[in-house]
This record gives sequence, C-alpha cells and structure tokens, in this order.
Amino acid sequence: MENQQSHLTHLTDAQFSDLLLGANPPAVRAHLEACPQCSAEAERVSLAIGSFEQQSRLWAERRAASQPILASHRQPAFPWLHRPQAWTAVALAVALAVGIGVTVRNDHPRGVPQQVAMTQPAPAVSPATLKADNELLSAIDGELRADESTPATMYGLTVTSHGVRTRAPKRISN
Amino acid sequence: MQLILDPDMICCVTGEPTLTELDDIEALDRVYRSRLLRFVAYSTGDQDLAETIVQDCLLKAYNARDSFRGDCAVYTWLAHIATNLIRDQQRTRKFQFWRKVQKTAPDLNELSSLLPSGESSPELQLLAREQAQQVSAVLESLSTNQRTIFLMRFIEEMELQEICQATGMQISTVKTHLHRAVKAVRLKLGGRI
Repeated sequence: MENQQSHLTHLTDAQFSDLLLGANPPAVRAHLEACPQCSAEAERVSLAIGSFEQQSRLWAERRAASQPILASHRQPAFPWLHRPQAWTAVALAVALAVGIGVTVRNDHPRGVPQQVAMTQPAPAVSPATLKADNELLSAIDGELRADESTPATMYGLTVTSHGVRTRAPKRISN
Repeated sequence: MQLILDPDMICCVTGEPTLTELDDIEALDRVYRSRLLRFVAYSTGDQDLAETIVQDCLLKAYNARDSFRGDCAVYTWLAHIATNLIRDQQRTRKFQFWRKVQKTAPDLNELSSLLPSGESSPELQLLAREQAQQVSAVLESLSTNQRTIFLMRFIEEMELQEICQATGMQISTVKTHLHRAVKAVRLKLGGRI
C-alpha cells in the first residue's frame, strides 16, 4: 500500500519525458527535490544518454576522419578542356595541321614566286633579238637531230612520217 | 533512388542563412560528416550503409543547394535529406536490413581507448560505457521513427520544431515518439514504469 501510494505520487511518464526534453516546471522541480527515487532515476537516464552521446560522437569523429573528404564537383565553363584526352586531341590536331602545311608547302615550292612572276610584266625584247634567238634555237635543234642515233637506226631501221617502221634498203657494195 | 525535396519542409522558422557553407562541399563535408554519420549509423544500425548514405546526402545537398533558402539551419536541412535517404534505403533493403544490423552496427566497445581518462575513475568510465551500451541496445529495439526522433532530440540536440521540419511530422507525433522512446530507455535502465 505504501509502495502503491509512492508510485502514484512519482513523476508520470509524460512528466519524466518532458523533464528530459528540458521542461522543468515548478511542480516537477519541487517533486525532484522531495523524491530521491525520481531524482536518481532522472540523473541516471540523463547520464546514460550523455555517455551514449559522448561515445557515439567519438566513434563518428574517428570514423569520419578515416574517410576522404569530398572534392568539389563544380562544373567548369569548358569541361572538355579539363580532360587529358582533350589536350591530347588538341596536340594531335596541331601536329596534323603543321604537318599538312609543311607538306603542301614542299609540294609547291615555287608556287608563290610563280604567282609573283605571272603578275610581273614581261621585259621588253626587240624583234631583232627575238629573231636571232629563234635562229639560234633552230640551229641547235637541227644539230641535235643530225646527231640523233636511236636503237632503231643502229639496227638499220628508220621511222617514217607515218610511224611505220621499215627496213632500210641494203646497199650492195662491190 | 531519387530524392525529392519538398519545399514546404524547408520553410523553417529559425536559423541564419549560411549559403556559403553549401557552396563549398569540402567545408560541408568537414563540418557535418561526423554528425551525419552518427545520426545515420544509429538510425540504420549499419555503419557501412551509413557512410554511403552520408556521402549521398552531402552530394545531394551540394547539388541542390540552390533550393535551400537559408530559412533554417543547414544541419536541419541535411537531416531532412538524410532521413529521406534512410527511408529510401529501408524500403529497398527492407528484408536484408535487420540481418545486417548485428554485423555492422557501430561498436562502442572499440572506443574504450579513446575515452578521456583523466576526469573520472576507471569504475566510472566502465559504468558510463555500460550505460551507453544499454542506450545503444535500446535504440535497436525502437521503431524507425522512435529511433530517428530520439537521436535527433537527445543526440543531435535538435529542437522539436527542427525535428518536425526534418521529418515532416506534426509536433504531437514527434512528442509521442519521444515519450515512447524515453519510456523504453527508462525500462532498460531499470526505471520503475
């Protein structure tokens, strides 16, 4: 009967929870001062929760410290510029462009001078000089034709104007 | 798994706009990772899963930082995201969750060497460790909501209003869960209920 009477006067479940939540009205405070059982229990529960808070915090801090920190994932203005492959591609493109440029320049080494020459006016040459040059060239051409010996002539063949090869008449000597 | 941020959940009453924290993911990580890790680890009972959830939480917060209006504390917002992620995980891994709890739950025993020893006697330290383990054991027996709300209030020391914002529950519901959780802790610690 005495226990039942004291149980009825102890803090209710709701009062106890409110006490742990921080609510401490005068009636509860007065009861705690007068009731060592409720006071001890409140202290025991508070200490237990406090111990759990402390130990779990130490655990979490140690665990978190062992993990790598997240790096920034900000999107750059030109994200492709931040990839190594992009720089490799740029380097290849530059190398190709330079290589093609050099090749084209080597294939047409006189391209630019020719264009310059075509744009320049031809030097003035007198008709007499032109005639003398043409005669000289004709003479040179004639001499070259006279000395011309082809494998066909070596074998006694001649080339006609129609392009038909005939055997030259055999001379009969004494 | 996609997190849908409810704008109504972000309309908080207190707190200063701390947008600069969210703009720097490294600072966000340094400041909040351990707090989130503890909360998620004891909410899920799985420390490996907790690490994954915390990382997802920080990345989602960083990516969705434009939707944060700065009306509440950053941690309240992070706890809201983490709570949603925990729920998603528990939906998808409902059947294997409790099997893993006993294997990878945070072990407070491994912290015995880290506890400060200069302020209390070895007997008191042992007592504190036993009490903490009792609370940890009670947490495993609570429902998900009770455990989450108990952790938010007593471990993360969030205000009731912040818990409402983070969980999306009414304050009366939050109080009910808290009372039940406290009752369970009292029972475990030998209270007269």
